[in-house]
Amino acid sequence: MPGGIDFLVMGLSHRTAPLVVRERLAVAPDQIIETVRGLAKLPAVREVALLSTCNRVEVYIASPDPDAAIASLRQDLAERAGAEESELGSHLYVRVDVEAVHHLFRVASSLDSQVVGEPQILGQVKQAHDSAIAAGVAGPVLGACFTGAFRIARRVRRETEIARNPVSLSSVAIDYARKIFEGFTGRTVLLVGAGKMADLAARALRGQGAELVITNRTAERAAELAARIGGRVHSFEDLAGALVRADIVIASTGARQPVLTRDLVARALRKRRGRPLFLIDIAVPRDVEAGCAELSDVFVADIDDLQKQADQHRNGRRGEADRAEAMVEGEVARFLEAYRGRRVGPTITALRGHVLSISRGEAERALSSPPLASIGERERRGVLDLAEAIAKKLLHGPQVVLKRGGADPVDGAALVATVQRLFELEVAEPAATTAAVLPAEAETDAPSADKVVGR
Amino acid sequence: MVEILAYALASALYLGYLFTARGPVTRVARAALSVGVAAQLSDIGLRCVAGQNPVSSTPEAVALVAFLIACGTLVAGLRYKLTAAGAFSVPASLTLLVLARVVPADPGTPRFGSLGMAHVLLATLGVAVFAFAAVLAVLYLVEEGRLRRRRFDRVGREAPLATLDRLALRCVSIGFPVFTVALLTGAIWIARLGGIASPEARRPEYLIAVAAWMAFGALLVARVGAGWRGRRAAWLTLGGFGGTLLVLFFYILRYAV
Repeated sequence: MPGGIDFLVMGLSHRTAPLVVRERLAVAPDQIIETVRGLAKLPAVREVALLSTCNRVEVYIASPDPDAAIASLRQDLAERAGAEESELGSHLYVRVDVEAVHHLFRVASSLDSQVVGEPQILGQVKQAHDSAIAAGVAGPVLGACFTGAFRIARRVRRETEIARNPVSLSSVAIDYARKIFEGFTGRTVLLVGAGKMADLAARALRGQGAELVITNRTAERAAELAARIGGRVHSFEDLAGALVRADIVIASTGARQPVLTRDLVARALRKRRGRPLFLIDIAVPRDVEAGCAELSDVFVADIDDLQKQADQHRNGRRGEADRAEAMVEGEVARFLEAYRGRRVGPTITALRGHVLSISRGEAERALSSPPLASIGERERRGVLDLAEAIAKKLLHGPQVVLKRGGADPVDGAALVATVQRLFELEVAEPAATTAAVLPAEAETDAPSADKVVGR
Repeated sequence: MVEILAYALASALYLGYLFTARGPVTRVARAALSVGVAAQLSDIGLRCVAGQNPVSSTPEAVALVAFLIACGTLVAGLRYKLTAAGAFSVPASLTLLVLARVVPADPGTPRFGSLGMAHVLLATLGVAVFAFAAVLAVLYLVEEGRLRRRRFDRVGREAPLATLDRLALRCVSIGFPVFTVALLTGAIWIARLGGIASPEARRPEYLIAVAAWMAFGALLVARVGAGWRGRRAAWLTLGGFGGTLLVLFFYILRYAV
């Protein structure tokens, strides 16, 4: 179904390309603006946004000539990846027009993510659009499509349970901790080691009121991490002392041998008086000795446990994903309608205003002249209604044709122009190529009337 | 009769909830339990009108314990997201109620005096509150076991362990003074009936009651004084409650035989 939207996407994702290919095309966040400026110089490319995450690299383009844009983009991407076009070609996918909108909506709603329902992607899509704006290469088409994408993404998040159960390891760990502790305010989280994963979970816990204590074999790295995520450093030599005070321990050292041995934990337990201790072990090889799990009031979760739980939640999300897909379909249809409405909307509104004002004016003139001037109020009403009814009947056909025909990118514009000439309509802006596609309008179903000077 | 059937149905549903952790079951279970509570309340009312207040004899008092536990379950489910508690408390309620009903009402038993009734009332309240502490302790141990065995999927959307621990402590701190006064009134009662030296006063249940009281006392000292919690605290709570339960069974046994 052609939608008449000059929009296309080309890219590759975890579905089509292995990491080795993806990383060759990936663009660092601080390079995005420069890159989109470069892409915007390609022939037939009018607006560009670039979405580069660990799972996908996608270029969204508004172009009046999709075929030319695709050809030049293919070549450009191959050059960037340092590969032959044919080599990259098998990994690249291209969607144009409505298909591209549908794709963007699915991506933003996290339906195309490796982990369906993961929350980061929406932010990344927003970032992509913001960067395009910052680079000065965004425009009305991207604006409309991305705004629509943000809207459906929020709806999916709100109305489905797709993101309800956590599927990322750090959030699964926090979810687990929630089954032990009543909230995290005043709880002490001890980070043993300065791994990246620990970072995520610790930040989240800190956000919920937990106090962070960091210990690491190399004190400098501990201090660095403490400064970055907000916590204090505890000496690694006194690990046992730190264990006595901690409620949650996140271990992520690169040590070959367990750092938290059964002995060490048992010693700390004596001073804890049964206070639950939750050891989250996200290190490989493991940091928590297996025997620790047998100790009283000690709970251990290693990376496999978290992964298993995450997988289960992920399966649960699949059912919700079907519902979300249906919502996306509906939203694409609505979007299309609104988009088309925007092209022909102002013209239709102007036409209606023009015809209705003539019919009303004529009826009122007739009512104020002799033969009709003396009739009663009811009859007056009747005449006015009659005039309006005739005008509306006459308008119906042209409106339908305009709405339908407006979808066509070439004929639609001609049709709109013809109608405007025939009726001498003054429409503020020929909508299809300008900034008429505004965020606020994506919210309304009906074409907006207030941008039109009806005459 | 209605209350027994309702409690039985609710027991099955709450147990079902414990093993499936399905949300919709909760509402039906709660409804069944509410019906049981309402039925028993009207039953207690009728008996009161007939001149048998709920602390006038052993079976009546046992039925009252069942009633209080059932009420507590409803409150726990609504107020603290402790639906799983019903899997233990409602069957306990059911058992006590059935026991109270199968024991033949003996018209020959002398009515308790006011001291006796005060003792029975306080003991009943104390046992009911301890029963709840015990339910929370069991729940703690079950959930704790699941978490330890890393059966996360089985751990429903229940209150966290810390909540169970905290509420169990609260129950014990409320129950302990009540039970203390119950023991004292009981001792005075015995002294009035025939004195410590009489053979009546040398029943094993009195010793068990004192032992249970001491267990709860030790628990409170450990928890409040030294800050103990977790598994051991849960086991000690269960031990104390086991004692009070034993006392209760002795009473019923003695009454029935």
